[in-house]
Amino acid sequence: MTTLVFAMLLLPAIAAVLMLVLDAKATAARARGFALVATVATLILSWSVAYQLPATSQQAGPVTTRWEWRHTWLTLASPAPAPTVVNHEALSPNVIRGQSPEEPKNTASTSKPQDPSTSRSPSGDFINLEFYLGLDGLGMAMILLTTGLCVSAILVSWSEIRERSAEFYAGILILEAGLIGVFLAYDLILFYAFFEFTLLPLFLTIGVWGGPKRRYAAGKFFIYTLAGSLVMLLGLVSLVVETQSLTGISTPFSMPDMARALQDQPLPVETQTILFLLIATGFLIKVPMFPFHTWLPLVHVEAPTAGSVDLAGVLLKLGCYGFLRIAIPMLPDASLTVGQPLVAILAVIGVVYGSLCAYHQTDIKRMVAYSSIAHLGVCMLGLFALNAEGLSGGICMMINHGLATGALFSLVGMIHERYHTRSLTDLGGLASRIPLLSALLVFISFASIGLPGLNGFIGEILSLLGMFQVSAIYAVIGTTGVVLSAWYLLRMVQVGLFGPLREPAGDHSHVSDLTVREGLAIWPLALACLGLGLFPQTLLNLIEPDVKALAVIYYEPDEVIVQKTDAIQPSFAMTNSTAIVTSDQAVETISSIQTGERR
Amino acid sequence: MANWSDIALATIPAAPLAAAIWCGTVAQVVRRTTAHRPVVLALALSLVAAAYVLFVVVPGSVVDSPAAHSQITPIESSGESLVKPISLIASETPASATGEHHGPAHKAYIFEVYRWMSVGGLTVDIVLRADAMTALMLVMVNFVSLLVAIFASSYMHGDKGYPRFFGAMALFVFSMNMLVLAGNFIEVFIFWEAVGLCSYLLIGHWYHKPSAAAAARKAFVVNRIGDFGLMTAIFLIYRTFGSVDFETVLDPARLAELAAAQPGLITTIALLLLLGAIGKSAQFPLHVWLPDAMEGPTPVSALIHAATMVTAGVYLIARTTPIFVHSPTAQLVVAGVGATTALVAAVTALCQYDLKRVLAYSTVSQLGYMFMALGAAAASPALAAHAETFAMFHLLTHAFFKAVLFLAAGSVMHAMGDVIDMRRFSGLKKALPITHITFLCGALALAGFPLLSGFWSKDEILAVVWEATQTGDYKTYFYLILGVGLLTSLLTAFYTFRAYYLTFHGPERFPEEAGHHPHDASPAMAIPLYILAALAVVAGLILGPTHIYAHYIEMTPNFPTAAPAGMNVGMMILSTVLALGGIGLAYSIYGKATRPEYSDARPLSLWENVSLNGLYLDQLYGALIARPMATLSAVCEFVDRMILDKIVDAVGLIPIIAGGMIRPLQNGLVSSYAAVMLLGVIVALASVLRAIASVT
Repeated sequence: MTTLVFAMLLLPAIAAVLMLVLDAKATAARARGFALVATVATLILSWSVAYQLPATSQQAGPVTTRWEWRHTWLTLASPAPAPTVVNHEALSPNVIRGQSPEEPKNTASTSKPQDPSTSRSPSGDFINLEFYLGLDGLGMAMILLTTGLCVSAILVSWSEIRERSAEFYAGILILEAGLIGVFLAYDLILFYAFFEFTLLPLFLTIGVWGGPKRRYAAGKFFIYTLAGSLVMLLGLVSLVVETQSLTGISTPFSMPDMARALQDQPLPVETQTILFLLIATGFLIKVPMFPFHTWLPLVHVEAPTAGSVDLAGVLLKLGCYGFLRIAIPMLPDASLTVGQPLVAILAVIGVVYGSLCAYHQTDIKRMVAYSSIAHLGVCMLGLFALNAEGLSGGICMMINHGLATGALFSLVGMIHERYHTRSLTDLGGLASRIPLLSALLVFISFASIGLPGLNGFIGEILSLLGMFQVSAIYAVIGTTGVVLSAWYLLRMVQVGLFGPLREPAGDHSHVSDLTVREGLAIWPLALACLGLGLFPQTLLNLIEPDVKALAVIYYEPDEVIVQKTDAIQPSFAMTNSTAIVTSDQAVETISSIQTGERR
Repeated sequence: MANWSDIALATIPAAPLAAAIWCGTVAQVVRRTTAHRPVVLALALSLVAAAYVLFVVVPGSVVDSPAAHSQITPIESSGESLVKPISLIASETPASATGEHHGPAHKAYIFEVYRWMSVGGLTVDIVLRADAMTALMLVMVNFVSLLVAIFASSYMHGDKGYPRFFGAMALFVFSMNMLVLAGNFIEVFIFWEAVGLCSYLLIGHWYHKPSAAAAARKAFVVNRIGDFGLMTAIFLIYRTFGSVDFETVLDPARLAELAAAQPGLITTIALLLLLGAIGKSAQFPLHVWLPDAMEGPTPVSALIHAATMVTAGVYLIARTTPIFVHSPTAQLVVAGVGATTALVAAVTALCQYDLKRVLAYSTVSQLGYMFMALGAAAASPALAAHAETFAMFHLLTHAFFKAVLFLAAGSVMHAMGDVIDMRRFSGLKKALPITHITFLCGALALAGFPLLSGFWSKDEILAVVWEATQTGDYKTYFYLILGVGLLTSLLTAFYTFRAYYLTFHGPERFPEEAGHHPHDASPAMAIPLYILAALAVVAGLILGPTHIYAHYIEMTPNFPTAAPAGMNVGMMILSTVLALGGIGLAYSIYGKATRPEYSDARPLSLWENVSLNGLYLDQLYGALIARPMATLSAVCEFVDRMILDKIVDAVGLIPIIAGGMIRPLQNGLVSSYAAVMLLGVIVALASVLRAIASVT
């Protein structure tokens, strides 16, 4: 398992380096062939990792791993004074903190680490910096999305990229490695490093291989998101300092340990609020949410197809992912009192505003970019419902939006390659010329609209359903997105695909329908859309333990519901209860595994 | 050992789904011209299975009690005794006037397919849930679908998208069957959308026609407005009940408890459900998509936009009657919407020239009748049973006579070279005898001619509205509704026969598209026409006055109970007079030799224009909704590009400006650096000195 994960992380990076070092002047054919082999190999590796991933975690706490590898590379004397006991009554009563039974109660001496697995240093006076990789269902799902989309990204660039091919494909591979890294990183330093690292290859991809205004677009994208990230960095550093001085944990950069420590001893609400706002700045720009979204349409229009696919498919989800990993588990009071209303308001504005902007576009790619803003609004609405339904819906939305939008951008790229325009003023009635491609575009549009039976619906209904339990008004406004998305996407279908054939000036009789290569890029995505729509439980099962661990911070588990689930899924309930019963043994097992791995 | 009930239930959706997959994949490449065969075969299978469900599964699903078992055992025999089980149960369920249910209590037969999702407290299973109401819908849907598919195999012959058409059609039947068989609200929503998708695909079948593409989008988007209501209703249901299963949500005892505690909540849920129903069933004010939907091939209009899909809204409200009975407000709205729709659509139908649009508006109007009936229970909960029964009964008879009318119209269109404008042909009686006679049967049934099916069902609706005027607090309101119902009945007879006379009587004229010798329906088209025409004539008489239908539907679990309805002779006479009056009026204007000849040149009066343009509702919506939305969208786009983005750019300028301001300091002159250094030294010295001073 460990070997596989490392192979999955390193393979694209090594492939990229090899390509640049050994064959930097490779022809397009050689470069793309090599890149395709590398991405397919990574895809296979990621699926084998997924098959070996345990169904549940042996750990307790809001952030858990089902596989992990940690290595302490630096131990420092703690700069913090001896921790003091915090008055819990001063904290917001809004949060009902579900004390999970498996959580060992260590209130007597808070200087001791909360989880025995973190007890590397005998006293709390040392802090450890770690190289900490881990995997849970959420990370696994995102990695599968990344590796899948990267194969499509290579395939759709096949004939689009003709210059400096080796560098281009190396960029895509490095991007893939960086993205996999983000989803594996369980250490804040590592997380931030990977998070920022992904900017570089995309910046170059847009800046070198993009459209006419590529430099402006790339610069804006880079500076905007970097500025947000720096504010976030300030927040992350303060979070670490605050957490360490409050709880005295010895591994103050480890996300699971921090989350566990903060679950027992939350930060004061005021501190949480400031930290939340700082951290949210970076993630809100990344998502992007209204009003921080203006870089997105610009970048999509200028980016090459592969860049758009990866950007919309995975990069935007880093914002949502960050909220899920850091803000929601570690800053529960702020997430509930500040985060929920703030994000919900921005999200519903984003849904309506993004849809309205999308309707007015004539450039199909720009329209899809605006539709992303609307759809991610729904996603964030779900995440900040902070209950099991909403969180699951938000995560589903992340995956499904990645699949559907990745496919949409690929299809638009294919049309662009044929006609060198994406403008609805020049194109029309394409269904008569390229029926199969048009049929796929209709299909993916419906996935994006959220037609039941296709994947988009799952995320949409769960997100909105979750939000409705919390606040009806946000959910209702969010639900208007259901009408609006049909309104603008079907307009695109009507104008672009239906009606009499309209093509730009020139002879287009040679324009062919979907080629085999394009089919390989798009069919897997389309089938995944259908598969997840028909069998959403496959994805939901994967993320269920993670969602439960998060939701339990905010809502006490409902006894009735728990019993019901137990009755329905005896196998799952059993594994869960055995984990509870033998938690001590489990902890021992984990530490023994870890020591074994360190040797 | 699999049991026959499960197999039958599974076959109903599975057969059309398999056919749809075949048409979508294999038939796209080979056997294109025979793509209808698997579809017809699948629909026939589904129909047999549906009949099995109707006659065996549903009557057999009783709540376990020894007494109930002994009554149900003789049902297993088939053949000649097909009607027997119904009458058997009918005689053994003498629901008394006090509302007591003495017969065997029925439960739904449920076949679980798989767990679709389970998150937090939400569990959604895909199940096939059969009860009496479902069984009746299933038989109707599959029966009409089968006939329409046979008709279409000839009608669509030679079409470029032949397999695509049959694929979408089979997918539709699958979705419709699943919608009817759904066991929870989310499952309903899934297939509610799926039938909407099929409708979109089939309206846009001839996608190269801009009007068809526009109509398809309009249908989907307007439907989505209704879906917004249904979706919100589901959220509210889940929040209120913690479940979306019919069995949990529609439990009368629990609902009564809730209604006593929170009447506002029940009303909200009911109104949101109604919004969903209004969208799908094309009720005022969301009915504007249905007439445009006639851009699709005529068999589609007959099947989806007359007989089956558009009745889903009626079905939804009938299904959720346990919720609606607790909210008189919501029911009053239902009745009001129904009456408004019935009248508006009937008025609009008066002056249409497009034969299919006349029928489309008539569909809207008849659906309005069903809503009117469903809302009648606002007067008294005791009326709920009749209201629901008669709405569902009208749904059934309407499916038969409207399907035959549409298919006959399709036959006319086929013969006239796709011309459907009644100004361009007339006197087709001789040229198209089969079409003529079947259309006449349908028209008479629609007009409510005595003893034909439309007469029975419509009369019962008027009767239940009449009952509503006699009890409860809303007598005036229901008198108004009744008045509208009677007026609409007159208008219906008039516009139906106006269309009939304009098409089949008068001088024989064909448009040039038709060629010289228009041919009448081919056998594949004629047989469905005859069968449906026969049913349009006799179905009402067989099922209505004998109470077979009413007694069967009472087996639906949680169905409100009531005494069998008596004949309302007064209402019958009145509606007969109105029907004959309408037909007579149409004859006196259009049936005689001196009838007004239409031409494009003739100026229309104000009222004719209002009617022809559907009260200008499309234009009104365009001005009030579509155009403002487009403007708003342009404004948003402008704000985004020119304001929000510029603000971002302006913020981006701050470092440059700030840098520009400090830049003079780094001017490279040693003398100025020395001056600043001196200043610094002085400040440092001063502070040190102060510190020393304060210490000492």
